[in-house]
Amino acid sequence: MYPILLLLIVLLIYGIAYVFHGKKILEQKIVKADGSKPTPAWEKFDGVDYVPANKYVLYGHHFASIAGAGPIIGPATALAWGWLLPLIWILFGNIFIGAVHDYTAIMASVRHGGVSVMTISENVMGRKARYIFLAYVWFALVLLLAAFLSVAASTYVDVPTAATVAILYMPISLLFGMLVYKVGLNVRTATLISLLLVVGAVLYSFNAPTYLTYEGWIVVLALYSFLAAALPVWYLLQPRDYLNAYLLWAFVVLAVIAPLLLPFLKFTGPAYISFAAKGSAIGAPPGSLPATWDIAWFWPTVPLVIACGALSGFHSVVGSGTTSKQLSNELDALLVGYGGMLTEGAASSLAVILPAALVWDFASIAQSAGIPLELVAKAGINITATPNILKFTGAERFYTAYGFAQAMAWSRVVGIEAFPILFTGFKTFAAWTLTAFVLTTLDTANRLARFAWSEFFDWVKPRSPGLHKVLTNRWIASIISVLIGAVMAYPKLPDPLNPGKFIYAYSIVWPAFAGTNQLLAALALLTTTLWVYVILKVRGGLSLLMLIPALFLWVTVTAALIVWLIFIVPYLPAIYIVGTGTIVAISVGLDFLLIILFIRGLRMASKQ
Amino acid sequence: MKAKEAVGLLITILAVLLLLYEVFYVNLTRGSIGVKGEITTDAILVSTGFLLILIGPWLWLGDVPVAIKKLVEAKTGRKA
Repeated sequence: MYPILLLLIVLLIYGIAYVFHGKKILEQKIVKADGSKPTPAWEKFDGVDYVPANKYVLYGHHFASIAGAGPIIGPATALAWGWLLPLIWILFGNIFIGAVHDYTAIMASVRHGGVSVMTISENVMGRKARYIFLAYVWFALVLLLAAFLSVAASTYVDVPTAATVAILYMPISLLFGMLVYKVGLNVRTATLISLLLVVGAVLYSFNAPTYLTYEGWIVVLALYSFLAAALPVWYLLQPRDYLNAYLLWAFVVLAVIAPLLLPFLKFTGPAYISFAAKGSAIGAPPGSLPATWDIAWFWPTVPLVIACGALSGFHSVVGSGTTSKQLSNELDALLVGYGGMLTEGAASSLAVILPAALVWDFASIAQSAGIPLELVAKAGINITATPNILKFTGAERFYTAYGFAQAMAWSRVVGIEAFPILFTGFKTFAAWTLTAFVLTTLDTANRLARFAWSEFFDWVKPRSPGLHKVLTNRWIASIISVLIGAVMAYPKLPDPLNPGKFIYAYSIVWPAFAGTNQLLAALALLTTTLWVYVILKVRGGLSLLMLIPALFLWVTVTAALIVWLIFIVPYLPAIYIVGTGTIVAISVGLDFLLIILFIRGLRMASKQ
Repeated sequence: MKAKEAVGLLITILAVLLLLYEVFYVNLTRGSIGVKGEITTDAILVSTGFLLILIGPWLWLGDVPVAIKKLVEAKTGRKA
């Protein structure tokens, strides 16, 4: 199989899906988006969270927020099944579940004044569902904050030049916002100026590392997250994410160009390895017994491994949180929500899976491409110790595959002797891209936690308006979530699985996150499916287009969580059982409670 | 200029100076900002600049831009 052929097939599938599934069915027949209806961004404009945004700016924000590390690390880990099954899941899940989930979450929120999908659940599943859902999401967001604080801090310690890029990137983003909003410069000129500065900053940072300890970065990033989550969206979030979108496109476009420059090289990786990968692929903690067992059956556990690339519950929280409050026109939602999700699928499949499938066996691909093994060794890849891509951990698989494929392609243009330097350059670029998205997710997650917190305390308002005002104050609500997140990311605990080593406190509960996040996706999709059925009164075959994927996802995620409870939790050390096990058990209980509420809502709607 | 704006301007100037000093002067003279595995004065200064640059311009210029306000008022017919 030639990569270029697969690349064209993938692009064609995405194009067809966008036009026929997204525009013709979802937008025009199911949701019936109307460009003349005023959106909450106009109706509830407050200059802080509700601010109308240009659709390309909003696309950048939405994409950068939902991307995080998910579309990159997950698919790289999923290569343990071979490259074909993950690719099929990304295409299928992305189009029929993820894009539907993201788009309908945005539109449901827009039609309900910009509130979250959790609050919307009250209209179709009752008040109990709303508060359970909100508390669950708030907790998941705090856990996400802890994990991303830790990931970003660790990355800046490991790649100190990425820290300098991040430090320089913020003032450039603010400058872009000021040029457009305050000076009145047209967007094109402001973009050009800002992008030139970004390129300059990136090039300068190659030789400008910023060193700080892990703990130091946790404090700095927590303060950053607190400030960024409370500042007006037009001031930092919109301009920063708009510029981020260019970084993303550069990343995806380069991933597309590489196979074009290497049209006759074949994949060296196996399309299929096994239906059951090791338990470590689905988050069994390293060193635990289940991590070594073949219990990661592709179905039902694949959503625990590949999240954002195919579908993720976090997306519904972003879509019905920050995105819906900035949507200027209902017709923009297709590009932002559906298009954003397809772009994420493209990042997963084109920038992670295809390069990995291509360069899987280093010696074999180097020989096919005519690259001497000495040059590969000079690039830092020890072919004896790491004969193939699977020998690396998830993130390293991605950096290496991306860097290797790009270096192979561009060394054909600039000369084969440039291979090592090109490899280092593109590998670093891949690391920067990852951290740019991690930083965006860090402050968006805190802003979303603030929204969930505020919506949760709605009931206080009629009883004590003063207390409600204090509780939902944006600065107070922002600091509570990030403080708890930082407390979970900061301290080290003795690792019960590796005596003498340490883990960060959040790691005790983190393995449960994949399950809770995907459970959230199932519940959000069930909510919007019911919204389409009950509120929009869509019936017949069209409603099945949402109902079938929603139920399939619920069954899949529930089965995956049960696999976790049976095969992983009982074999973990006590501290993990208390942390992760409790969360997974609560999630399964909640899962069944909400499906009962869903069925009740569906039956009541059918009788009407 | 209101007090809030003056404070914002001062913070912005301070933040820009800190960033320029650390990213250019310190890095070019010492080859890095800070020392690996340590919390140094340089690391604290560059972090302070990074955080202050988020607040300074917001206090100084941070009211909702007139262009957005006018657009909202024109579209909704209400005072934004």
